[in-house]
Amino acid sequence: MKKFLIVTVMLFVCFSVIADEPDFDAILRRIDSMVNFEDSDLSCAYTIVSEKPGEDDSVFKVRMFRRDREDKFLVLVLKPDTYRGEGYLRIKDNMWLYDPENRKFMHMSQKESFGSHEVKNSDWKAPAYAENYNVEASSEGKLGRYDVYILELEANNNEVTYPRKKLWIRKDNYMVLKVEDYSLSGRLLRTAYYPKYIRLGDRFIASKTLLIDELKNGERSQMTIHDASLTALPDSVFTKSYVERVNM
Amino acid sequence: MNNARIAFRNLNRQKKRSFLLGGAIAFGLMIIIMLTAFTAGVVVNVQQNGSLLLAGHIFLIGMEKTESGMVTNVIRDDTFIRDTLKELDIEVKSIAKCSSFTGTLIFEDEYLQQKIDGIEPEKEENLKERLVLKKGTFDALSSDPRALIISEKVATQLNAAVGDNILVKLTTSTGQVNVGEFILKGISIDPGMMGFSGCYANLEYVNELLNIGRNESTLLGIFLNDFKKIDIEMDRLYTALSQKVNLFERTSDKEGFASLRGGSIEGEWEGMKYQLLSINDLLSRLNQLSDILNIVGVVVLLILLLIIMVGITNTFRMIIHERIREIGTMRALGMQRDGVRNIFLFEAFFLSLGGAAAGFLAALIIMFCVSLIEFGMGPLFIVMKNGHFYFNIIPAQVILYFALVAGMTLAAAFIPARKAARIDPAHALRTIY
Repeated sequence: MKKFLIVTVMLFVCFSVIADEPDFDAILRRIDSMVNFEDSDLSCAYTIVSEKPGEDDSVFKVRMFRRDREDKFLVLVLKPDTYRGEGYLRIKDNMWLYDPENRKFMHMSQKESFGSHEVKNSDWKAPAYAENYNVEASSEGKLGRYDVYILELEANNNEVTYPRKKLWIRKDNYMVLKVEDYSLSGRLLRTAYYPKYIRLGDRFIASKTLLIDELKNGERSQMTIHDASLTALPDSVFTKSYVERVNM
Repeated sequence: MNNARIAFRNLNRQKKRSFLLGGAIAFGLMIIIMLTAFTAGVVVNVQQNGSLLLAGHIFLIGMEKTESGMVTNVIRDDTFIRDTLKELDIEVKSIAKCSSFTGTLIFEDEYLQQKIDGIEPEKEENLKERLVLKKGTFDALSSDPRALIISEKVATQLNAAVGDNILVKLTTSTGQVNVGEFILKGISIDPGMMGFSGCYANLEYVNELLNIGRNESTLLGIFLNDFKKIDIEMDRLYTALSQKVNLFERTSDKEGFASLRGGSIEGEWEGMKYQLLSINDLLSRLNQLSDILNIVGVVVLLILLLIIMVGITNTFRMIIHERIREIGTMRALGMQRDGVRNIFLFEAFFLSLGGAAAGFLAALIIMFCVSLIEFGMGPLFIVMKNGHFYFNIIPAQVILYFALVAGMTLAAAFIPARKAARIDPAHALRTIY
């Protein structure tokens, strides 16, 4: 009888612990749905300021058009004049860079860096944490004044840019505040901070992002969003001819 | 025979004139022989240095299309090509695996993009022999899996020295970001051209970073026993392999050595597809350049010979004028017209032969002296043989030039010789200058 009581109590404790642990897969799905604009188009402008030790800050201004439901985006460089007119067009698994000087498109990898920044081409795309990653470990902590879940993710396929990630997620609204990207060998490559979000309809987008290159000392980029809009975009925006046309 | 002896004696009578005429021929031939020997030497050196640095005469590159449509550069199993080489009885010196990638080398605050070749150091005797290290040792690649050899230029840009830890950021075969930690164990003399990186690491560690299997590679280099058989064996191998595996069409590659990095091939296929390239395919542009240089050389020789021909024609006209009484005497003593003509033609032939021989000899001496000079292992390393210029004399070419010179000299002397033969002996004997 005594043994039975002990086992019952232990089972109760175990179930209580399991019941208290949040469903992290559901949280990842929730995050994905909050930042994916599946039912509308998104257009906005970004200012990217990059700092490199011993060099003047470089400022890029780009215009981005995104259609998540069709897995497409277009990024057009507005400034500096040297890169003005360059276009990064992504349609599903294909990505092209338009060179306005030669008037030619080059097929490129989504894993390449955008210009010489810490920004990767894959950063323009909405994240798909739930689809591409499994939660390997979790803990709780504080980031600034916020209570957060700290999730360690590992890619479930070998085609995502970063095989491992660590996420700091606000407990109260599941906003991602910080992301650490790791290499396959487990080395920290990049830290991204998302201190501010803006609401667009029922979705959110980080209005300010700070990206720190952890391999190159002192190199960082700050992305600030402007003029975000959910207005429907014509289909022609996501075509090569549009990229050529805007450069005429 | 008498005619030849008289012609030879005549040449000796006017030593200064013969020397100047022969000298002009010698100069023209010397230039052309040196030029063609140099370009042929460059082609041979690039071919041999390239083969040694790339560890092969024939290269196999594997392209695998994943289920998602991504193309990765990898050879999973190379048994089929080893078996085919045996079946075809192709004499192979060695077969070496190589995995290459282009990554960012980071040392302290400096970084740069660089191609690195992952090799099996114990199987790379040729590379070990050919790669000139300024600091460190090649054997470190065997003893330390994280060893890295970089070129002098890269080491200077990174401000790195032997013993330093260097981070390398790269993408795996499927495009994931990865970072390797290498220890700088050697600094090589910069090959400087043709896309040779001069940067080498251990194959096993590179494969680990590329996230491919230990026994896999991105490229397979086949070293033939006789590099002169490259084209023949390449044709046989391509035909045999096309029956066994999916092969890309053969092309003389537009990208040169860059094509060995793979991944640039587009098109529809499923699973594995291979590209077979030979060092000659990769050097097709260099061979074209060599052909152009040879044509330019022959044109220069023809122009030089044309000028010399005018000189020879005029000189022979003068000689005939000077020797008109001698011609009259010989004709009066019974010599036939053909004999007189032949004496002058023999003179021209001996002149061309002597000039050509002197030119060839002068070219040999100059080339020998130049080849003795140690130019070091600078940017021209790839076109040189161990730091020396190498001249490749092709006998057939030399024979052709000798024949060309002789033919043109005889042609230049023919009209004056015929004129001399037709002189009336009585008129010739009466002539007084």
